[in-house]
Amino acid sequence: MASVPIQPVKPRNVGQRRWLRRPSLGRTALARHEARWGLIFLSPWLIGFLAFTLFPMIASLAFSVTNISLAQDQPLRFVGLENFQRMLADKQTWESLAVTFRFAAFNLPIAIVIPFVVALVLNSRYLKGVGIFRTLFFMPYVIPFVSGLLAWQGMLNLETGWVNEFLRIIGIQNPPNWLQDTTLIYPSLAFIGLWGIGAGVIVNLAGLKGIPSELYDAARIDGAGWWASLRNVTLPMMSPVIFYSLILGIVDVLQYFLVPLVLYNGTGEPGGSTLFFNLVIYKQAFNFQNFSYGATLAWLLFGITLAITLVVFRTSRRWVYYAGER
Amino acid sequence: MRTRLLRVGSLIAAVALVFAACGPSGSASSSPAAVASESAAPASTAPETASAAPGGVVELRWYCCLGGGEAPEQKTVEDKVVADFNASHPNIHVTFEVVTYDQANGQLTTEIQSGNGPDVVGPVGIGGANAFHGQWLDLAPLIAKTNYDLSGFPANVVDIYKLDEGQVGIPFAIYPSALFYKKGMFDEAGLKEPPHKYGDKYTMPDGSQVDWNYDTALKVAKLLTVDKNNKDATQAGFDPKKIAQWGLELQRDDLRGMGAYFGPGKLASGDGKTVAIPDAWKAAWKYYYNAIWTDHVSLTGPQFESKDINPKDYPFFNGHTAMSENFLWSTYGVGDAGDDWNLAAVPSYNGTATAAFNADTFRILKGSKHPDEAFTFLTYLLGDASADLLTAYGGFPARTANQAAGIAALQAQFKNTVDWQVAVDGIDHADKPNFEDFMPAYNESLGLVGSGGKYLTKWGNSAGLDMDKEITSLQTDLQAIWDKAP
Repeated sequence: MASVPIQPVKPRNVGQRRWLRRPSLGRTALARHEARWGLIFLSPWLIGFLAFTLFPMIASLAFSVTNISLAQDQPLRFVGLENFQRMLADKQTWESLAVTFRFAAFNLPIAIVIPFVVALVLNSRYLKGVGIFRTLFFMPYVIPFVSGLLAWQGMLNLETGWVNEFLRIIGIQNPPNWLQDTTLIYPSLAFIGLWGIGAGVIVNLAGLKGIPSELYDAARIDGAGWWASLRNVTLPMMSPVIFYSLILGIVDVLQYFLVPLVLYNGTGEPGGSTLFFNLVIYKQAFNFQNFSYGATLAWLLFGITLAITLVVFRTSRRWVYYAGER
Repeated sequence: MRTRLLRVGSLIAAVALVFAACGPSGSASSSPAAVASESAAPASTAPETASAAPGGVVELRWYCCLGGGEAPEQKTVEDKVVADFNASHPNIHVTFEVVTYDQANGQLTTEIQSGNGPDVVGPVGIGGANAFHGQWLDLAPLIAKTNYDLSGFPANVVDIYKLDEGQVGIPFAIYPSALFYKKGMFDEAGLKEPPHKYGDKYTMPDGSQVDWNYDTALKVAKLLTVDKNNKDATQAGFDPKKIAQWGLELQRDDLRGMGAYFGPGKLASGDGKTVAIPDAWKAAWKYYYNAIWTDHVSLTGPQFESKDINPKDYPFFNGHTAMSENFLWSTYGVGDAGDDWNLAAVPSYNGTATAAFNADTFRILKGSKHPDEAFTFLTYLLGDASADLLTAYGGFPARTANQAAGIAALQAQFKNTVDWQVAVDGIDHADKPNFEDFMPAYNESLGLVGSGGKYLTKWGNSAGLDMDKEITSLQTDLQAIWDKAP
């Protein structure tokens, strides 16, 4: 039977700024009551955010224009933009940013696509034992990340790692040094990252479960096969979830820190390929005791992250579809 | 409505996450703050500013653990030491603060930079203290004022703490080096044991008497390196990919320390700003590299990192390494090597034997508001409390008169009779200047030469390197860091 081309679900009102209009929450006594209680319930988070995120941020901005450092025996003074000038002239700033962006370009698509694909498989009506698979995929997520990293370090060891033991069994006598080879390091890190995709899978799975089956029924009646349904129903309906994953993924990858710290002691080995920008911030502030310079670098990261996030938000109007939007 | 809320909620969440890129993050997996919260042990007491409480009681804070002292059984002793002091000194009240080793450096940095530093810090090694160069109190005036007697300590150990900052420490625990070896492996290979006395010759299998130097040690190490087919490293058909027993392991925690076994020195030249790597250290690094990749008597980096091959940080502990240079503090794990290990003199280089030296003590921060009271507490730690603390830390007493008791305490931990005199003799062969001597941009420089540093990692993982180029590259990298130092 010839398949009938179907029209993709067209996002409505895309590009309009209706969501920025003043909400109508305060118009009725009930709404005001709800809003008040909403704020009360939110207050622990809000207080925590103000005290432990916003205030330290403001403090770090103040640090960035001073000379706080244990490495020098000078009194505290205002240095203006000196730290920012140093940052721009520092080769390590650009090298570590390049490392971060290179890894982001490699890892981000994987970190978004793989959980989505796994969720698609787990959502399939043909898969038996779905509950077991869901549990298996989520289980690594509940293991402390550092413990998991140390286990991966062992598994990828050149001499005694299980991965290379397996490769030797199948006849590869000189298996690669996964964690010390500059050409393999990003695939290895991405591989390690996939181990903890449980949360991403669950989010994607929840999104897939939320797609009304009527849409698939309608698509089938229109002659859509698996691919056409995926392209014209699943992807548009999942676009808010993909958007959410993308934003979190961007923020996460720009803050990439723990893996290179644990695996390489923050040295940037092999060959500087793991000297991520967030690691440089940490080392400057807490290892090299240059608080002011570390704070300055943190503000650069903040600026970059904010800019990228805003750009992605801006583009979202063109590709994210909210089914309930009027 | 729901859509609007969803979008606004997403925006708020995203902005919060972006903010978190700059501030302490709640993200469990990727931020420095997350690491800090994951691994920092809670301090026993919240930091307080040293101050005189009403009634004239001076409040002091003792900060631990930049170099050991955090284990629960150690904390029990430390708590008792503090309680005893507080009971016997009604005018001083000491609060003990434990911060785990991995977080201690960062937290102390933060405390000092925020003007909320403690009074007494320790136990801390020479290198750990140099990470806070310029922050330590010169004890000389207090030593003079109180007539504190330093004559009970070896003069060269007292001198270790005489720096450009002044006399910043008084000896407490010392850790001379020795060559740990497995007698059973020597017997099995038909080899004589290495000499226990510095200056003694070694008897080769052919009966010849030769100097106990690094060339000899390498020859012996090859005979002690055995593959899974029971061939040693001198025999045809020896398979370096299937080694079952290694002959020699250098101390590879720190490139400077590794170098110091070949001769004392430091990286900073006379002007204190120019990198000048001692020739003996260059020789040591080449020896180390060849021992791994050419002679195959030492573990490669991946073997060293493998928990299957090296489960407890030092290969000698696994019982598959015949000889290993290390400090006396490594007795904490050497029992796992079996009951046939002993101590020998470290080999000489160019006719001189140098046993790299570690030492721990307690120090007073320059910012302490009560230096006199802090000194009173410091001398208590080094005096009345020292026996308990040394036992808890596994430290060897710096005070000469206490060393016999220290040896007895060490020997009590092992079934085999160990020649501890070798370690005592090592004090006379300590490296001076100490390898952990201050250098510009100390903490940043450690990223190149310190524990887990860039070059140690690279050399352990990469065969076929040109070591002359590597050493030149290290010198260039180090100089670049020093040139940027304030």
